[in-house]
Amino acid sequence: MSSLTESRSVTGRQGGRRMPRLFGEVGPALPAFLLIVFFFVAPVVALLLRSVLEPVPGLQNYETLLGSATYIGVFANTFIVSTVVTAAALAIGFPVAWALVVMPMTWSRIVFAILILSMWTNLLARTYAWMVLLQRTGLINKMLMAVGLTDEPLTLVNNLTGVTIGMTYIMLPFVILPLYGVISNIDKAVLRAAALCGANRWQALTRVLLPLAAPGMAAGGLMVFVMSLGYFVTPALLGGTSNMMLAELIAQLVQSLTDWGLGSAAAFVLLLSTLVLYGLMLKFFGTSRLGGQ
Amino acid sequence: MKMLLTSVASLAVLVSGAKAQESMVFTSWGGTTQDAQIEAWAEPFSSESGINVLQDGPTDYGKLKAMVEADGVSWDVVDVEGDYAIQAGEQDLLEPLDFSVIDKTDLDERFVTDHSVGSFYYSFVIGCNEGAVSECPKTWADLFDTDKFPGKRTFYKWSAPGVIEAALLADGVSPDALYPLDLDRAFAKLDTIKDDIIWWSGGAQSQQLLASAEAPFGSFWNGRLSALSESGVPVSMSWDQNITAADSLVVPKGAKNKDAAMRFIAYATSPEAQAKMAELTGYAPINTKSPELMDEDRAATLPDRQTETQVNADMAYWAKNRDAIASRWYAWQTE
Repeated sequence: MSSLTESRSVTGRQGGRRMPRLFGEVGPALPAFLLIVFFFVAPVVALLLRSVLEPVPGLQNYETLLGSATYIGVFANTFIVSTVVTAAALAIGFPVAWALVVMPMTWSRIVFAILILSMWTNLLARTYAWMVLLQRTGLINKMLMAVGLTDEPLTLVNNLTGVTIGMTYIMLPFVILPLYGVISNIDKAVLRAAALCGANRWQALTRVLLPLAAPGMAAGGLMVFVMSLGYFVTPALLGGTSNMMLAELIAQLVQSLTDWGLGSAAAFVLLLSTLVLYGLMLKFFGTSRLGGQ
Repeated sequence: MKMLLTSVASLAVLVSGAKAQESMVFTSWGGTTQDAQIEAWAEPFSSESGINVLQDGPTDYGKLKAMVEADGVSWDVVDVEGDYAIQAGEQDLLEPLDFSVIDKTDLDERFVTDHSVGSFYYSFVIGCNEGAVSECPKTWADLFDTDKFPGKRTFYKWSAPGVIEAALLADGVSPDALYPLDLDRAFAKLDTIKDDIIWWSGGAQSQQLLASAEAPFGSFWNGRLSALSESGVPVSMSWDQNITAADSLVVPKGAKNKDAAMRFIAYATSPEAQAKMAELTGYAPINTKSPELMDEDRAATLPDRQTETQVNADMAYWAKNRDAIASRWYAWQTE
């Protein structure tokens, strides 16, 4: 993730009219650049090589991956889960970010503290907490049954529902924080202007506020989507085996089956699809808008 | 925590030690099992031999292979699954054991190969939370019968000896006709309960699922049920056709402290160390002299006494077919 952010800011500044000052601008980034070359680019190249060299040179690992219904299913599932999580995180994150902007300072500080503290809490602990909350005998099912919304405990964990709830929760701060930045920069006068011009609340939201907040939505949404694609712990613990995601498959291939060629190929396909998505986003939103400026 | 303390203590010894002290690294699966291995093996071995035993974990076959291939082996003794030990031996990833140091006369020969000896052995048994259901499944057939026993049931998630055998036994295959495994039949049987399976990926999770009655019954490592029962959960255990499998101790090829590793394994498989380990975990000792050293009440609860209907998973068969079964297993799971 950091590498993507890094390369983005470098290319963003380099572009076009500021070429003469190139070295002065890039110089300070040199240590970071070297760090990325040694600890990111080099291992990725090694990974790529492994995927075409093991167990014998050739493309058979990619053939196996793309020719098997099982693996295609895992790819499809990875994209479905990431899409659902991104949509849910945006749908919940937007109102929260808006509320953070308009609520009194004391309250917004408390909400921020909750957000940040949850990010600082160990991921495994948070995921286990969801496991306990969501299980058949868990608090959520008990409450639903107590108020009579359901007679039978709902299956909320070990399936797609569990993964979506757990991952959306974990991804929320990554949507809320960039959105907060963008929304707080929107001049509230434009909303009053919209009202004066006869827009109702819905029109003010969809035709004024949302378009203005779009760069924040795109940045947050992309971040969440890309993080979700490679997510491991939460899907492994809250999901069932029939909605396995890519990261889990890779871990299985590398650790249990010690089939490194195939594992590397899967990892490389994941990386490639992430880069393609990132490229598409850049094309549609441009660097500066994605940066939230 | 204990692992950390041991490491810190060993570090302190290293720093302050008047004489250069030998040390070695032992890697296992973490959790209560490794805690027991520290208490039963590593600590007494250290005080007897003066060799520090540093702890690492969890065991990771990918890592082991990487270390051997890169000739940067930082583990000296590793606790692995029995079938993996045989396979890794054949793949030339392990040092042959030095049986002039390790005395194998009293070791259970089911678990001895040129490259490995048993670490401890366990049974997959049928566990049930009596507080959550009116009747408990007693046989594998019961556990696969969702009409008679409705509800979720939990099984070991990874491809390993145990679940496939259970499915075949439940389907009426006689124990002596289990191998070679009829995978088509096993998966067809598993299909009948697939929607009602919750998989457990580690011992702690299996205990949590059973104690919370998220899955009120299932197939468990016997030691985890003993521990749960001791903590006050109303757990019943059926030993009917319990399926045994073992962990093994191995030395990765190119291990830096090979001599210390052999001495450690010799100690860990001694009658006393195995008896202590069994007392702490509820798993069976692989040294046939150990049971007589143990408290009779405790010894009576171990898998080595439950031989009447016991089924031994065929480790050699698994070692040979491990990869093929695993690909099919994981493909089936994601379907």
